Amino acid sequence: MVNCSFCGRRAVYVSRALGKAYCKKHFLEYFDKKVRRTIRKYKMFSEKETIIVAVSGGKDSLALLHYLVKLSKRVPGWTIKALLIDEGIKGYREIAIQDFLRVVRELGVEYRIVRFKDEFGYTLDEIIEIGRRKGLPYHPCSYCGVFRRYLLNKAAREMGGTVLATAHNLDDVIQTYLMNIIKNSWEKIVRLGPVSGVAGHPRFVRKVKPFYEILEKESALYAVLNNLYPKFVECPYAQQSMRWYLRKYINKLEEMYPGTKYSMLRSLLRIISLLEDKADKILEGEIRSCRICGEPASHELCRACTYRLELGIMDEQGNIITNKLESK
Amino acid sequence: MYYREIRYSRTKGAVMGKVKVKIIDTEQEWIVEISAPTSIKDILEKIGLSPEEYIVSKNGEVVPEDEEVSDGDTIILYPVVSGG
Ligand SMILES: [Zn+2]
Ligand SMILES: [Zn+2]
Repeated sequence: MVNCSFCGRRAVYVSRALGKAYCKKHFLEYFDKKVRRTIRKYKMFSEKETIIVAVSGGKDSLALLHYLVKLSKRVPGWTIKALLIDEGIKGYREIAIQDFLRVVRELGVEYRIVRFKDEFGYTLDEIIEIGRRKGLPYHPCSYCGVFRRYLLNKAAREMGGTVLATAHNLDDVIQTYLMNIIKNSWEKIVRLGPVSGVAGHPRFVRKVKPFYEILEKESALYAVLNNLYPKFVECPYAQQSMRWYLRKYINKLEEMYPGTKYSMLRSLLRIISLLEDKADKILEGEIRSCRICGEPASHELCRACTYRLELGIMDEQGNIITNKLESK
Repeated sequence: MYYREIRYSRTKGAVMGKVKVKIIDTEQEWIVEISAPTSIKDILEKIGLSPEEYIVSKNGEVVPEDEEVSDGDTIILYPVVSGG
């Protein structure tokens, strides 16, 4: 039996990077202290906020929702609402929605579900099929990422959100960091901080990552210990992505050299602060409004509208073009 | 999508006991024969799984992967790698 470094009871978690073992009580205490420190250090929330939590139904976002609802009991000026984007992935999304509904009902949180099908006229499965038929060069995760981010910002604003909290954890962040080094995308690395820069656009909702310093394993353990762990289903598109391979390699490195992940996060924070001084050279000019939909964009069109035009599922006026799959 | 996979694995020397390993909500399952006191970490490595990627429960209780196993133990793994 492994014993807690603080009280000697049976441990549930060992951090090799920190050289400590934790029982359930001391793990939850460590977790809470760590997240509160992150929130404070990066000034994520003020006293009065309507916090929209982006929930996918996966363990990380359920853990974040649970955590923030509990924390909000101590902050009278906070309102928490949950937002789920249903991209429409057959055999995956239906199951994750069940876990989402179970948790929001248990917590008594107001929520909204926004569907790709309603907003764009097509599910992600259909979009991927259309892209394949057209020979577009994008990985399923690219469509999903662009359309999800688009809807999260839009729906969070419509729900009266003053800030959008996402469940990105330390592992997610450093995987994205490495991916963007490989792709030479420094403009994306600058935006990988715990708080997204205050973009001067009226339709832009500030984004924060309260689990920025939490390991993926720690957020999973928080979910298991609080009976939030959802029925395990993997997104069918997740495998074979670059992220999937990087995750494997980084985990291998962490096993061989404990502390690798924390060290990579420090490296990221350092490079962000160095790059911020040169922001004008890296960023692609000022933030604009998309010519078609009016949402924030770094070019004439936002990424979501660019994709929709390329897919041929929307016209230049922003109207949905239907029946794209029947007419081959 | 998931397949039933019961693999047997044995260490050198006399068999001291058998440990069952399962990944939650999947059909993936292993029976591992052990011949000496073994940690969960060693067992996962033997069957090709990374301890970084699972929360481990032994006979219904969450334990660190450094915990040792003995004959008849059941290990349930909760993958930490599913997104969001
Ligand atoms: Zn303790
Ligand atoms: Zn647009």
